[in-house]
Amino acid sequence: MADMGLLGIVISETCGGIGGSDIDAAVVAEELGRSLLPVPFIETCVMVPSLLESGDITEETQDILSAIVRGTATIAIGGNTALAPYRDPNSTLKLNSDGSVSGEVSLVMHGAHADFLLLTFGSDAQTRCVLVSSDSGYDVDKQTANDPALRPATIKLNNTPCTALTGLRKDDLERARLRGVAALSALQAGAARAIFEITIDYLKTRYQFGRPIGSFQALKHIAADLFLEVESATSAAHAAANALASADPLAAKSVALAGFICNDAFRDVSAQAIQLHGGIAYTREHVAHLYWRRARATLSMLGDSDTHRETYLGAWETAA
Amino acid sequence: MSQFDQDTSPEALRVAVLSWLDTHWDGENRRPLTEPAYDRRHWRQQVLAAGLAVPSWPPEWFGLGMTSAQCKVIEKAFAERNAPGTGLDRYHLGAITVFKAGSDALKREMLPELLTGPICCLLYSEPNAGSDLAGIRTRAEQDGDQYVINGQKVWTSNAREADYGMLLARTDWDAPKHRGITFFLFPMRQAGVEIRPINQITGESEFNEIFIENARVPERFIIGNLNEGWGSFQTAIAYERLIMGQGITGRRRNSPTRSRPPLLELAEKTHKLSDPVVRQRLAQALAYREVNSLNNERAMTEMMTKGSMSLMSLSKLAMSRIQHGEAAIATDLLGPEALLDGPDNSDAANTNFDAAKAYMNSIGGGTDQIQRNIIAEKVLGLPKEHEPDKGIAFREVKSGTGPRTAG
Ligand SMILES: Cc1cc2nc3c(=O)[nH]c(=O)nc-3n(C[C@H](O)[C@H](O)[C@H](O)COP(=O)(O)OP(=O)(O)OC[C@H]3O[C@@H](n4cnc5c(N)ncnc54)[C@H](O)[C@@H]3O)c2cc1C
Repeated sequence: MADMGLLGIVISETCGGIGGSDIDAAVVAEELGRSLLPVPFIETCVMVPSLLESGDITEETQDILSAIVRGTATIAIGGNTALAPYRDPNSTLKLNSDGSVSGEVSLVMHGAHADFLLLTFGSDAQTRCVLVSSDSGYDVDKQTANDPALRPATIKLNNTPCTALTGLRKDDLERARLRGVAALSALQAGAARAIFEITIDYLKTRYQFGRPIGSFQALKHIAADLFLEVESATSAAHAAANALASADPLAAKSVALAGFICNDAFRDVSAQAIQLHGGIAYTREHVAHLYWRRARATLSMLGDSDTHRETYLGAWETAA
Repeated sequence: MSQFDQDTSPEALRVAVLSWLDTHWDGENRRPLTEPAYDRRHWRQQVLAAGLAVPSWPPEWFGLGMTSAQCKVIEKAFAERNAPGTGLDRYHLGAITVFKAGSDALKREMLPELLTGPICCLLYSEPNAGSDLAGIRTRAEQDGDQYVINGQKVWTSNAREADYGMLLARTDWDAPKHRGITFFLFPMRQAGVEIRPINQITGESEFNEIFIENARVPERFIIGNLNEGWGSFQTAIAYERLIMGQGITGRRRNSPTRSRPPLLELAEKTHKLSDPVVRQRLAQALAYREVNSLNNERAMTEMMTKGSMSLMSLSKLAMSRIQHGEAAIATDLLGPEALLDGPDNSDAANTNFDAAKAYMNSIGGGTDQIQRNIIAEKVLGLPKEHEPDKGIAFREVKSGTGPRTAG
């Protein structure tokens, strides 16, 4: 991906990236979703660059951005704020008076292997973001995930040196979160479409009662309804990316919409995919369960559907 | 040559249309400037002559060859001046079908007529041919350069107001069911056409039963070719579903257009806007509507760039979920009040009306089940079910509640 420049898709050209928009990020995320590649693209290539480029630019942040572009820096995000992909409410992270960081945080996706951790903690009113290099010494306990491709970890820090990100306004944090949700939505839309296509192919080729099972109306009607979910997810994800790329003042509303439409579509399409396949999809050899597991794993990433729905309705109330 | 240039900028086009309207239309009194009162036919003739009735059609066929974006500019300008008469290329099913499927001679003869006044109704469904529409048994028999029509139609919306009906009738009883049908532009106002209104669950009676006895239609009013009516009909039904998917069948006609979604207002009025469960349902309902218009936008682009209708096919089905869903939420918001009705209880009356009207979308124009069949088979390519009547001469096919009496 680094060779194709895809890792620097939203990073500005001055930092070695392509300088693309959220629409470009969505295209990449959709493909990653299709292939279920377990990489921290959203964190490393969308959210962290968004934060680094909107805060104070230092030599260190420049270096990290170039390393992201080259593919030599992967970054995991953990913490207890809305910026954490998987919010750990029990996180005990705190900043020490000497500027180092201590405490424990779980649910840090890719935390065991990342070159940097971006830790985010404090309150939503006063969110702290610090960068920790994997060289600086902390303990890692791997956690077991239901999706075998995902590797969350508990990180234990004890007076670990870190770099606090400075110059970040509240809006910058919110924008990084929105961009993360938009990219995640695209990823889910791509994944939902992939498992949907796999399922439709199966309906055409599996025979029972002397005919393809796809000729049974009970299955056809489920397929038609799922198709609506798949297309709606794509539309919502594209609209969110467009809204961010064009700095639409209602972008947060579009992103919230995509947040729950894509969450729910991926969940429902991947769940029905197993049912429509029958026994074969109950085996680990078949791919259906991988989509299903990934869907379940992304349901709570960067906010669950109910939270997005509440945000969306709130935006309607203030807009009208 | 027209004064509206295809290559003009949107802003220049808007200005040109507004200035045309300002020399022809009195928006305040809703009448043409040259006339004491609004006369639909006269006004439409002026709009048509300017190319503005069907701006997307080519100049040689009454239009201006405009793109759909340009048509939107024109429609907005008309709305700004409170003027009717444009956009018939999107809404006039009869004219659209004749334009897309008719012969040049029919187009030349009938389009100026259709586009300036007459209402067209849809003479498709029959008592024994609903979802299985290709099973119609209204017959058309040739008599010189005319066809004589006999049969019964049902659920025909707006038949009493209509001057023409788009009629599906059987012309060959020995061909399999889809291949013996002809599509006619049928003059409604003649002896032999009896129209009986049907009372609907909404309290309205828009649709009717039609009894046709020895009525006549000129041969030149065949839309497309003899016995190939099923193909021409596909054009008409595709546009009908497209229009339904935009959701224009939804609300009671005279409900004001508000900027705030009506459901939000009702939730506020019933003091339930802070209930978290209600809020989740409201958000989902608003989302279905927004996502449907996003899908429609993508569908438009897809249709223009790839000529593909696959996304378009989803919107009518989506609209059923929207309309039934919103009515269900409104009913719950009202609680026991929803059992009331009548002018003294307008919230309840509106909600009950919407709950009933939602069936127009989920039954009319092909039921949701038929839409799902179509999406699954035509778009997703799933195999058809066993069709016992496939390839069999129509007179041998069973229908309704038993074998068909032969033609
Ligand atoms: C408000 C309204 C306006 C209308 N206006 C017009 C009009 O202007 N002109 C006109 O010609 N018609 C009109 N119709 C008629 C409409 O097109 C038919 O009602 C519709 O196509 C269904 O046919 P049917 O009523 O005979 O039901 P049926 O076909 O008898 O269907 C009964 C039930 O069986 C189901 N069903 C049938 N076949 C299948 C299948 N293959 N697979 C799964 N389920 C199936 C249906 O979904 C439905 O639930 C209108 C209807 C309504 C409600």
